[in-house]
Amino acid sequence: MALDYDVPEDKRVLYWLGDKLIEHRLPITILVVLVTGMFAYWAFQLRLVTSFGDLLPQSHEYIKIHNRFSGSFGGANNIMIMMEVKDGTIFTPENLNKIWRMTHGLDKVYGVNHNQIDSIAHRTVRYLKVAAGGTMRAQPVMNSEVKTEDEANLIRRNVHNSENIYGLLVSLDDKAALIRANFIEGKLDYQRIFTEVNANSVDPFLDDNTEIYVAGEPRLYGWVYSYSGDVFFILVVTYCIEWILRWMYFHDWRGALRPTITGLIAAFWGMGFIYLIGLALDPLMLVMPFLITARAVSHAIQMHDRYYEEFEKSGWHKRRAIVASFGELFVPMMSGIATDAFGVLVILLVPVIMLQKLAITASWWILAITISEMLLNPVVYYYLKPPEPELVLMRDRGGFRKGINWWVARLLSRTGMVVTLVSWFLATAVSLYFVRGLTFGDPTSASPLLKLDSPYNVSHKRIQDKFGGVEPLIVVAEGYDRDAMKEPKMLRRMEEFQRVMERDESIGYSFSLTDIIRAVDMVFHELEPKWGVIPNTWVDVGSLFFIYFSGSPPTETAKYVDPSYTTAHVTFFCKDHKGDNIRRIIHRCKQFIYGSQTKDLGIKLEERDGKVVIADVDKEVQWEKAGPSWIVSEHATGETPFKAGDVVLALGKNEVTDLDSFKFAVNKQTANKTLVDWKLQRNGTVVEETIVAPWKAAFKLAGGLIGTLAAANEELITNDLMMNFLGFLSMYIIVLFTYRSFAVGFYLLAPLLLANVIINAYMALNDIGVNIHTLPLVTVGLGFGIDYGLYIISRAIEEIRIRGDLRDSLREALETSGKAVTFTAVTMIISTIFWVTSNVRFNAEMGLLLALWMAISYIASQTLIPVMIVLMKPRFITREANLAPKMVPSSTDSTER
Amino acid sequence: MELGMWSSVTIVTAFSFLVIFLDGYVVKPWRERRWERRAASGDKEAAELLRIAKSAKVSEE
Repeated sequence: MALDYDVPEDKRVLYWLGDKLIEHRLPITILVVLVTGMFAYWAFQLRLVTSFGDLLPQSHEYIKIHNRFSGSFGGANNIMIMMEVKDGTIFTPENLNKIWRMTHGLDKVYGVNHNQIDSIAHRTVRYLKVAAGGTMRAQPVMNSEVKTEDEANLIRRNVHNSENIYGLLVSLDDKAALIRANFIEGKLDYQRIFTEVNANSVDPFLDDNTEIYVAGEPRLYGWVYSYSGDVFFILVVTYCIEWILRWMYFHDWRGALRPTITGLIAAFWGMGFIYLIGLALDPLMLVMPFLITARAVSHAIQMHDRYYEEFEKSGWHKRRAIVASFGELFVPMMSGIATDAFGVLVILLVPVIMLQKLAITASWWILAITISEMLLNPVVYYYLKPPEPELVLMRDRGGFRKGINWWVARLLSRTGMVVTLVSWFLATAVSLYFVRGLTFGDPTSASPLLKLDSPYNVSHKRIQDKFGGVEPLIVVAEGYDRDAMKEPKMLRRMEEFQRVMERDESIGYSFSLTDIIRAVDMVFHELEPKWGVIPNTWVDVGSLFFIYFSGSPPTETAKYVDPSYTTAHVTFFCKDHKGDNIRRIIHRCKQFIYGSQTKDLGIKLEERDGKVVIADVDKEVQWEKAGPSWIVSEHATGETPFKAGDVVLALGKNEVTDLDSFKFAVNKQTANKTLVDWKLQRNGTVVEETIVAPWKAAFKLAGGLIGTLAAANEELITNDLMMNFLGFLSMYIIVLFTYRSFAVGFYLLAPLLLANVIINAYMALNDIGVNIHTLPLVTVGLGFGIDYGLYIISRAIEEIRIRGDLRDSLREALETSGKAVTFTAVTMIISTIFWVTSNVRFNAEMGLLLALWMAISYIASQTLIPVMIVLMKPRFITREANLAPKMVPSSTDSTER
Repeated sequence: MELGMWSSVTIVTAFSFLVIFLDGYVVKPWRERRWERRAASGDKEAAELLRIAKSAKVSEE
């Protein structure tokens, strides 16, 4: 039987389409099965992989610096192994030999940068030895395994006399040694590194007197990968519980099976696509597939519920019920899928490759629901046996429906509406108070990815306690000319930088070339501490460097300074990577750099009336003209290119409007050259001066783990507001076209906004920061919340056309679609809540957070939206009153077979 | 016991078949008997529903 009956005039096309899908069921089934089979094949090729480079905002200045210098000065992927003895010290033959073997075991781990291993047992860590005749040479602390106590004692003496080793690689109490290795970013295989580090450097060396702690990013991800098997347990538990719930809800196994088919097809399409575009599954993103699949399942539940309803209404005509449920739910379902898909797509804004890939794949995955739910749905129903009429009748008069009816009656009463509004007002007010504590970046010193008492966090804390700080922030000092790092003034500036920054409570210690030069100078002068200083002349500095580095190949010395002595680095080892601390440290670095630049220029700047004004000129800094340019003079000239009261208008092509723009301009202009054109306003006229920057090298932020995290956090802050705005805007535009009303967006998005505030407050209260991992999940949650409201409003419009009364229509919408929405909310919450059992703390927290988000969005759709509609009587619903669509025959074309 | 991909697939498939079996041979007959008992004991709603359900003619097309 085809479409030979009357259908609603306004949905005639949709009814026709639904019927056509059934008519052409065989080719559609074959096509969908073939394509799904292809995607399923690709889905099974997927692997769990985290690409570190994809996690970084590659366009950020810090990351560009990180990428340029990580190969020589060290990157963000360091592993720290600390061997600690309970009794005695590490300076015994047995313990030193353990360190030797652990170090050489680590050197064999896949992906390690062999020239960037720091350990007293590695060839690159050297001490200065004064030989007979007064000659000196730098030689490795350990050349081989130790055989006697005397050798061990000699090593202890050498370590204690080396500032670049004692306290940095050996603890001050001699009870612990640190082995630090950097891994090449292109060769990061976290699972393999985890296994090989355990086999080569941990397991064989543990005994009653020896404890070994391992920390660092590769280790952290290794632990995360080792827990990824949790996903199967959670999958099985979630699947079984959802099947039982759907079975109980629909009173029929088909009701349990049908949404599974939708979820499975969408999952194959989604995961196959991920493989197809060359992406892998990240173990920290595993909650996302569950959430999207749950979304697919919830749409299917809506459809199945409506199918039962239409089956009864149509007088037990299976095909009519299929076509009617398709035609009636097409608009809210498509609208829901579109808002979900485009809501996620705004993540594209964040210039992080992993997030951009995730935005595309998640959008595709959600759009794939269209195929499984819309295209295939009528066909699947057609092939399945229809439910028994008694089942449909009895189900709709069960306890669940009665409970919903009871709740709706109370909600739409006067008291119910007052309680609803007051409750939402209070919840929002309290949340607004707490949301101020929301952090960008990590809010705690422990890794938020794993539990506080996890072996990783215990190790991390222990190493931090023993060595002060292990998370590097690398600031590069890039010289303009070769031998810039031999300039005493430059070295003193680096030393000053270290001392200033070490005052920050989050910095454990720091290291730069100056630590080497001072240690060498002291050894050169018979270990007299007063000689532990930077020499005054370029020649003396060069001589000391020659003494220290002459025996080492450039591959070994490159981690301190490049072979031409043009570029070196200052590395600050931070105690934690809390978002607030990173921001403060980076700010202090910038302040120091700015302060040193203005000091060298001999000017003091102030902001006055929106202009940058030279408030004072230091007479100590002497300038002279060298051709057209000003250079700093060593003689008293009494000349200066600056005058107090000058307004700085621009540096080169960079306009200066405030102090921040000045800092940016001076760093930009002097990044690779010294000549800078200054545009100044002096006594009302514009003056141009060309000035040679009076420093030998430019400090450039920032590499290492802290540098990369700082870049990621800055990008998140920059894009978070814009992303939220565009997310809401895209949803607004979709519902605007769906319902042809400007007001409908307010009713659907206002509750979502409140839910957003409450969730952000929850995150702030529970120390969950906005970072590269939480951001996509939170954005997906934002989009998914709108679907519940869409089904309620669509049904209310449908009902008011027949009933004419707003309150009565809303009551019916809440009792029918609201019942299905309630059930889908339960399934969505269950899909994510079981992640709380995960050993990966991040996944557990995200599971709970998303479950909470679904719950709040659901409560908003069932309470706030109907109450707002009843009280405000929006025209986009009331204008439809008593406008029941005319029932008309379908077109001749579509009804003839 | 740690679950892998194939053991998980086996469990969920077996579970699905178990539910289908229980639905067809245990729960559905039990539910029908329960409504019939309610109708027999004088429950008007149950009797009316059973009457409608039994007189319903299902059309596949």
